[in-house]
Amino acid sequence: MNISVKIANITFPNPVTVASGTFGHAERYYNLEEVKRLGAIVPKTVTFHAQAGNPPVRIFETPSGMINAIGIENPGIDGFIARKLPALKKIGVPLIISILGHNEEQFTGIIEKLNAESGIAAVELNLSCPNLKHKVLVAQDPEATLQLVRKIKALSKFPIVAKLSPNVTDIAEIAQAAEAGGADAVSLVNTFTAMAIDIKKRQSRIGNFTGGLSGPAIRPIAVYMVQKVASQVKIPVIGMGGIMTAADALEFLIAGATMIAVGTGNFINPRAPVDVLEGIESFMKENKIDDIREIIGSLKI
Amino acid sequence: MVYSCVIAGNAATKQSFNMEKIQNKYKVLVNEKLCPKYWRMVFDAPDLAAEVKPGQFIHIRTDEEGLQPFFRRPFSVYRTRKYVEIFYDAVGPGTKLLSLKKKGDAIDVLGPLGTPFKMPPPSTKQVILIAGGIGIAPMLILSDVLKNKKYNLVLLFGGRDRGHVYPMQEFKDNGVKVHIATDDGSVGAKGRISVLFDKIEKKPGQTFIYTCGPNPMMKAVQDFAGQHGIAGQAACEEIMACALGACLGCSIETKNGFKTVCYDGPAFDLDEVKFH
Repeated sequence: MNISVKIANITFPNPVTVASGTFGHAERYYNLEEVKRLGAIVPKTVTFHAQAGNPPVRIFETPSGMINAIGIENPGIDGFIARKLPALKKIGVPLIISILGHNEEQFTGIIEKLNAESGIAAVELNLSCPNLKHKVLVAQDPEATLQLVRKIKALSKFPIVAKLSPNVTDIAEIAQAAEAGGADAVSLVNTFTAMAIDIKKRQSRIGNFTGGLSGPAIRPIAVYMVQKVASQVKIPVIGMGGIMTAADALEFLIAGATMIAVGTGNFINPRAPVDVLEGIESFMKENKIDDIREIIGSLKI
Repeated sequence: MVYSCVIAGNAATKQSFNMEKIQNKYKVLVNEKLCPKYWRMVFDAPDLAAEVKPGQFIHIRTDEEGLQPFFRRPFSVYRTRKYVEIFYDAVGPGTKLLSLKKKGDAIDVLGPLGTPFKMPPPSTKQVILIAGGIGIAPMLILSDVLKNKKYNLVLLFGGRDRGHVYPMQEFKDNGVKVHIATDDGSVGAKGRISVLFDKIEKKPGQTFIYTCGPNPMMKAVQDFAGQHGIAGQAACEEIMACALGACLGCSIETKNGFKTVCYDGPAFDLDEVKFH
């Protein structure tokens, strides 16, 4: 049975990864046999400078989901390379490093520092974090997406994945812009901008005022967006949004995703990524499918 | 899966837990109401009981199929002997579901989690446990550990009314002097828990405080301790998603920046936390 998948020239042992920001910097889980079975690890987004994150309250539970506004708490690219990357590399699973610059110089600065490193499979550009008080996200502007991806692609020695926001009118248009800029893949969806209100205090439940909605509550919209994007670009799609089980993941694969990521599901069931992987394998066995590529994009239209 | 957890003590040491071991299904042995407000649940979990330190917690999936509520729910461990006990208030959707569990039901539990309480310094003579409402939850296991160490053990408990007070015989059996205050005076002294602060010996180095409860109460305890130079530990609470230090959702403000309640805490030095 073949479950390996390819993005650019990189072969991943299987299509199951974790969404950035849901695995910490993964150090809590090092040495674990289960993590070693993942197709790739995507650590929490790294910025140029260290960030303390947003003031509490940072999360709120919603029906089948959650709102978060963590604010990319991270040690900055230098701290990440010095303190996090060595241990991540030791795990032996392909690493997709998620990065975010608050401007083009920061993005290129991070890439220059990563270029000096080895043992990285790909770099994911977080163009879509909704919690940083930017008026317009890069991933909300096709031209900005194209220009930034083009610039980074020319500089980076690693394949580039553009992470897209669902907070747009036409996500396929942004995906096509990323493709035109030379992206090797797109990943979607990041969270939906959201709010919950404490009716007694008449205040937002979230310290940052607004946050991003994730979890099974958004899954049908994410499946729709992945299907739409996958049908309009030639580069691979990494699909995510509320995946808790193998059945959820298979929807994304059938919709056209080459890889899938478990995000918020990690918080509810730490074994979710491995459950998803094992569930995909049993689905293939039961249906006598020899190659995962027979599933990817197999939606009947 | 292995993740490491700082086990605080007089000398902090690193201890690793195996992830296969920290996510398990345990059977409910007892699920009973202790008083009109509070419940006690007992799990058949001898392996977990052997690992838990006072101040640590377990993270329970109350609705495995329906995702409603979505998050797990964290509970301080109330007591470990052969079994693991939690003490809870059936107040929200998760705890209400929990109150419906029957003997024999299997529940998905993550634990033990978090940084436990530090033990009192060697010069300590009086240990004061200050709990507001459900904040009593981590105090019994703590008194179980402290009872044979010749401290003068005192519990100050503040509750809203009679419905929020239960006999606390287990504390008395541990040699703890129990003082109660209720907002309406229906049990013990009338007023906020601060009316009981005269039971605290104002002897820096000899008195050590442990507190858990609503943030305004812990702020009052912190202010009192600060005025009198008394050290202590506070067990904090915040909404949690992963409880493994991964999501950074349960961060609180401390003198040393944002810290996660689930991993850096729940137990913090009393003077470290910025209560709001």
